[in-house]
Amino acid sequence: MPQELSLDRDAVATVVKKVVVAESRLSLPPDRVRDDEPLVGDLLNVNSLGFVGMLVRIEDELDVTLPDDLFVGRSFRTVRDLIDVVTAAEVQR
Amino acid sequence: MPDGLLSRARAAFDAAPPVGDAAYDRYCQVLGEELLAHWPRIAGANAADVAAAQRLGMPPTLVERLRLTDVHRDRMVALTAMTRQELRQVRETEVPVSGAARHVHRVPRPLGVVLMVYEARPTVTVDGALLPVAVGNAVLLRGGKETAATNAALERAVHAALARAGLPTGLVTVLDDPQRRLLRALLKRPDQVDVLIPRGSPALVEHCRTSAIPLIASGGGVNHLYVHRSADLELAVRATLDSKLPEPAGCTSVETLLLDRAVARDYFEALARALAGRETELTLHTAPELTALVPAALKTEPLAAHDLGREFLDPVVAVVPVDDERAALDHVRRHGSGHTEGVIARDRHVIDAFRRRADAAMVVVNGSLRLHDGPTLGLGTEIAIATGRLHVRGPVTLGALVTHSYVTDGAGALRG
Repeated sequence: MPQELSLDRDAVATVVKKVVVAESRLSLPPDRVRDDEPLVGDLLNVNSLGFVGMLVRIEDELDVTLPDDLFVGRSFRTVRDLIDVVTAAEVQR
Repeated sequence: MPDGLLSRARAAFDAAPPVGDAAYDRYCQVLGEELLAHWPRIAGANAADVAAAQRLGMPPTLVERLRLTDVHRDRMVALTAMTRQELRQVRETEVPVSGAARHVHRVPRPLGVVLMVYEARPTVTVDGALLPVAVGNAVLLRGGKETAATNAALERAVHAALARAGLPTGLVTVLDDPQRRLLRALLKRPDQVDVLIPRGSPALVEHCRTSAIPLIASGGGVNHLYVHRSADLELAVRATLDSKLPEPAGCTSVETLLLDRAVARDYFEALARALAGRETELTLHTAPELTALVPAALKTEPLAAHDLGREFLDPVVAVVPVDDERAALDHVRRHGSGHTEGVIARDRHVIDAFRRRADAAMVVVNGSLRLHDGPTLGLGTEIAIATGRLHVRGPVTLGALVTHSYVTDGAGALRG
């Protein structure tokens, strides 16, 4: 029986930042990315066509399963938006 | 979960004729015809995908990446014709030997069941249904859900072509399940999937690297162009511009210019002359010591630490001053991704140093980095540019989508 659990926001933030850095083809420590950094801006370049890959990477890193439709129909402007959605998701391990 | 589709693909692969059979030539020919015949339905399905993306609020630049136009149609049809021409290059060859057997041949064999994973760009569906299949592989195509209707319509054209060519339709399967669970399950089946070809975002490629299935993939293009003091600076400028402006987000685009301090001022002046009167958004991210050398007409921003090893995906080039080829090669080693590296120089020692020591899938001497392209170089049509170290590096052409068997005619010889 899969176990439902909630995620630690700091852990999610680190993973999300690591993934958006890679997705933006940058070499940068995740802690150098601010929560309010725009997903498309001077530093990051993340678009929704890369969301499938990002979701599976986030799942890999956190060792959880996120809902398939987690990013569907939502708009994300900053890194914080992504962190919030993943943190609030009903996840299974 | 994927047992059914895996066994269907495997059965089709087993039933398919060997590499070089006339059926593959027919397939390339009729696929072009079927794409044209199915085009109204393909275009209709694509319009539905595009409308759905717009309803969901996808930004216009991304919507454009989903859209198929008549130009794409013509390119896909041209690709079928080029692939047909190149089929004859994948053939049995005799290997010179001096041992016990009188003849040893290398006979091309398909790689097996190939899983392609990609995002958006429905033209990749045709790339995947064409090149691997033309040399006998079976393919599972996992595209983005944003183009599901387009891919389904393309699959119908592909199946019609396979049937007309006398090939099993199971050689091409477009996965219609957008769930990540299916993708995860497939990535855990190295017993049934022989090769994985991801084409998409860095996160997707990195996820695929966690699979035990052998992978043909690009690690991205953090590419450098080194301009030595012996360079023809007019050529250096032309090569810079051609390496960036036509496809700023392309994987062979130049990201960092490694500029010999001795010619920095002259290079910038030549660049300003070349851009005079041209509409361009080129922006240079320059190191502080170079800023005073840049003519006011050029757009610059300060170079940031995170610009090194970065793919800008925009008309932006970082400019880093270096003293010599050793410093340039050291920078390439630290920040390059092993994709495409270039040198502009007249000095033979410098050129030789780069040829021998720059460790990338392609090293370009005195030219544009965008020469790194199978058709442009005459290497053949490519399905990807690989940066891995095994099986294939550089353009992944038909010849890289097969392995081989050695076949020897012993003529009665024994080893003893």
